[in-house]
Amino acid sequence: MSFTRWPRQQWAPALAVGLAALATIFLANGLWMKVLTSVAIFTLTAMSVALLYRRLGQISLGHVALMGLGGWVALRFSHGFSLPFELNLLAGGVVAGLVGVALAYPALRMRGLYLSLVTLMAAGGFSIVVNNTQFPNGADGFLGFAVRATAYMPRPVLAQSDAAYFIYCLVVTGLGFLLVHLHEAGKPGRAWALIRRSEATAMAAGVNVTLYKVWGFALSGFLAGAAGALLAGSLQLLDAHSFPPADSVMICALTIVGGAWNWFGALIAALLFRLAPALLNDWGLNGNAAYIFFGLALIHALATAPRGVAGKLEEALAAGNRK
Amino acid sequence: MKIKFAVAGGLGALVLGVSGVQAAPHCGLGNGQKATGAPIKVGAVVGRTGPDDFSSSARAAKAYFACVNENGGINGRPVDYLIEDDQWNPEVAGQVATKLVKDQKVVALVGNGSFVEMSVNAKLYAAEDVMSMASACAASECFESKNIVSTNEGPLVSSVGAAQWAVTKKGAKNLVCIGLNIPSVGQYSCGWTEKYMQSKGLKASSILMDPGSADVNAAVLQTVASGADTVLVNLPAGLAAGYLKAAQEQNLRDQFIWTSSTPLYDRAVPDMLGDYWQGHITVNIELTPYDGKGADATNWREVMDKYAAASDKRDTFSESGYLSAKYFVNTLLKLDPTKIDRPSVTAAIRAIRNEKSDLMCGPYYVGDGDRHQPNHANMMAEVVKGGFKIIGDCTDVNSAYLAPVRAEEKRIGLAP
Amino acid sequence: MAFWLFLMSGLAVGALYALGGVGLVLLNRATGVLNFAYGALGALGAMCAWQAMQWGWPEPCAWALSMAIGLAISLGFGALVAPALAKREPIVKALATLGLALSLLGVMNLLWVVTPRRLSLAYDALSIDLGGLRITATRLLALAAGLAVTGLMGLFLARTRVGLMMRAIAENREAAAILGAPIRKVEALAWGLSGLLAGFTGMLFGDLVRLDPAVLTFMVIPIVATTVVGRLTSIPVTFAAGLFIGAVESLSALAPPLAPFRLASPFVVAIFMLLWLNRGRALTFADKD
Repeated sequence: MSFTRWPRQQWAPALAVGLAALATIFLANGLWMKVLTSVAIFTLTAMSVALLYRRLGQISLGHVALMGLGGWVALRFSHGFSLPFELNLLAGGVVAGLVGVALAYPALRMRGLYLSLVTLMAAGGFSIVVNNTQFPNGADGFLGFAVRATAYMPRPVLAQSDAAYFIYCLVVTGLGFLLVHLHEAGKPGRAWALIRRSEATAMAAGVNVTLYKVWGFALSGFLAGAAGALLAGSLQLLDAHSFPPADSVMICALTIVGGAWNWFGALIAALLFRLAPALLNDWGLNGNAAYIFFGLALIHALATAPRGVAGKLEEALAAGNRK
Repeated sequence: MKIKFAVAGGLGALVLGVSGVQAAPHCGLGNGQKATGAPIKVGAVVGRTGPDDFSSSARAAKAYFACVNENGGINGRPVDYLIEDDQWNPEVAGQVATKLVKDQKVVALVGNGSFVEMSVNAKLYAAEDVMSMASACAASECFESKNIVSTNEGPLVSSVGAAQWAVTKKGAKNLVCIGLNIPSVGQYSCGWTEKYMQSKGLKASSILMDPGSADVNAAVLQTVASGADTVLVNLPAGLAAGYLKAAQEQNLRDQFIWTSSTPLYDRAVPDMLGDYWQGHITVNIELTPYDGKGADATNWREVMDKYAAASDKRDTFSESGYLSAKYFVNTLLKLDPTKIDRPSVTAAIRAIRNEKSDLMCGPYYVGDGDRHQPNHANMMAEVVKGGFKIIGDCTDVNSAYLAPVRAEEKRIGLAP
Repeated sequence: MAFWLFLMSGLAVGALYALGGVGLVLLNRATGVLNFAYGALGALGAMCAWQAMQWGWPEPCAWALSMAIGLAISLGFGALVAPALAKREPIVKALATLGLALSLLGVMNLLWVVTPRRLSLAYDALSIDLGGLRITATRLLALAAGLAVTGLMGLFLARTRVGLMMRAIAENREAAAILGAPIRKVEALAWGLSGLLAGFTGMLFGDLVRLDPAVLTFMVIPIVATTVVGRLTSIPVTFAAGLFIGAVESLSALAPPLAPFRLASPFVVAIFMLLWLNRGRALTFADKD
């Protein structure tokens, strides 16, 4: 991999993000540090949604619910056993990954809008269940919940302050991106590409279609669960109100708007999901007016940019390359 | 904060008509001089955009602070009141509280009204040692935190108050509590109501519903199946209206004694419930009536008329927001204006011992304890045509939940 | 005895789910779009109708207003936005309607302060007694409307020329255009009819559930469950699914361990039915959806 002849559309976004991250670490105040931590976390979620769409052609309308599940597991482990944060994170990711595998089975039998609606049903069901069981708050018992003062989940040893936690989330998201990249550059990536083209050809070529489909879902679920655990660490508690099915649909819509084919598309999705509303709230714009603006912007973006905002950015950057 | 304009402005028209006759409201120093010193920053977190608009407490506090700023301020210093919307989202609640406490460095929070922010931010408030004089609390975390004290009572005290009245005045023997299935709201309030009934040797049960339910009919059927003689409706106003409509469909009015906790105490409710329910359902109210004749009640209305928008609701939480602001100002007026910072303000708020008002049944105090619930006595009103009729005077609520609170009152010398 | 009462009550609620589901499937069969804004359209119609009645309009005019608003917005969306998305995947078309839903919700919350409201219709006063449970005429109207739409629209799509063109366009827009189907007109008809039905349904929901814009808008999610069981294409199955889901939701109240999770019934039923219907099916030579 030669660095000297990297085209502009590859290093420019990376540079921009790197500078923005540095600016945040050194300049952001309390509010924006928290908001941008949220952005980093939801970038990971958007990445997992984009992976499923890009490689497997599946849209999941339930990824925020998977985040909730990952967060639940992380909280339960944290209150139940005194393990380091990283293990709780992994536990959350693994359980969500397993549920992702469970979602893969319907995917083997249906596709398109159908499958997306199954995930929406799952998200709806999750939100009802979690409204009843609530998130663990330090009590005993399997569910770990009782009506009592909340016990707060401890943050990672290395990242106690808000600023340190922001860097921590950036690192985890970066690792997530690396994980996805390794998959795509390796055997699974090739298998997925062939499956997307034509399943019959893939089978004929000896690719284990079922295995790779399931693997894709597992990876996507794992990343979403890890994002949920990060969210739990950020707030140090989770609330059942935070995971409505409408949010799952929203992050999916924004992932498509941001662009599922470029890595920074996921970042754009997270910026729209968490930074834009925070800005509007900060400027005192009535939340309902923001809803209207958001809805119209969503329609416009979906109609005019098939590869998302990231796709348009890439085109713009590449256009200058031909000199 | 932007001001909302309501299209259904019957209330607005009424207030505009009344405010033609403006009496001078009294607030703070009351000297008519505009405050021009260094501003004192005070914050508020309210759930404005979302399933319901919980911001009337902050709007009332804002009106009161505006009045104070035109009447000498805090010994010459104006209050810079910063209101943030948590959008009923715990993440946003954490973000805006951080903005207020860490970035803006407010000396205190006054007038908070939210379902979600108290549990998320209790830790932040304790860590930064900033006091939140809240006004519209709906969840248990609000009443069980070191740094949060509210002028309202919350669903638990309101429900037990309604049950208590039903038992003592109407002879209720078997009560069913209809609540939300959110544990820190429904199980908290209905659970302790059941305990109250059991402590009197009577029977009780709960029916908890999801706030998003389309089907309230099943809850009505469960009510009939419960065998109770009294129904305590402990739901937010919109859902309560749906439940009562379904009960009306089944013509259950005369089969039960009907009572409710505070959410149904709203000007729009008597008309909305219609003449079927008028005269047949009672409501427990957390503060004194919004058309009360006392000095503070009148002053509150005058402050709202002069300094608030016509569309700002004049409901119970508006009263409690006014009170929180008033007690805050009274407290700060006792301090040296050059030494107003967070530690001195926090200490002064904790030292509040015996503030009285005709808007609240009992005295308001804070103290150093791990939990605060100064307001635990309430009144009863009945839904009648065109409004509410007061049928029960200030009565203290007898719940075992309040035992630690009463112990604290005894310790600081407030209890009789 | 209790079982019977809860069952009847459940069917009464199920009638609402069924009516909503049928409307959604209708639009999907005619345009290929799953309209997430269906609830929001109904909610806007109901709120405007309530407002009109507050201003003294007679009830039939309020009904007409609600349906007219549903018609206008639905038609507008269908004419201005849907063509731009005609070539995209169905999920993208559905997500665009989500944008519409959000905008409508924002508009409603801006225009009407969040406060409890009640929509009372003339039919509320009439009721019949079914073995101890009273069912108002409004609920029966919902059931009748669902049945009517199921029957009539099913016939319309299957037997008339216009219906045939609708189905052809939904199946493959370009091929239908080549064959001479008047795309714009037929799509306009489909969106318009759907909007009318949304406005009508919104009134019933506003009366029988709650007149609250957010609640009505998000009710589209459990209603989508009924359409899922109907595989997004079969109107009768969607109707039956709605009734079944309502019954399950209500009857679950009788079983204490299940009762707190009653509201998940639409989702559980949908997932079960999907898995059952698709058992043993393996996708190999998969083409389009």
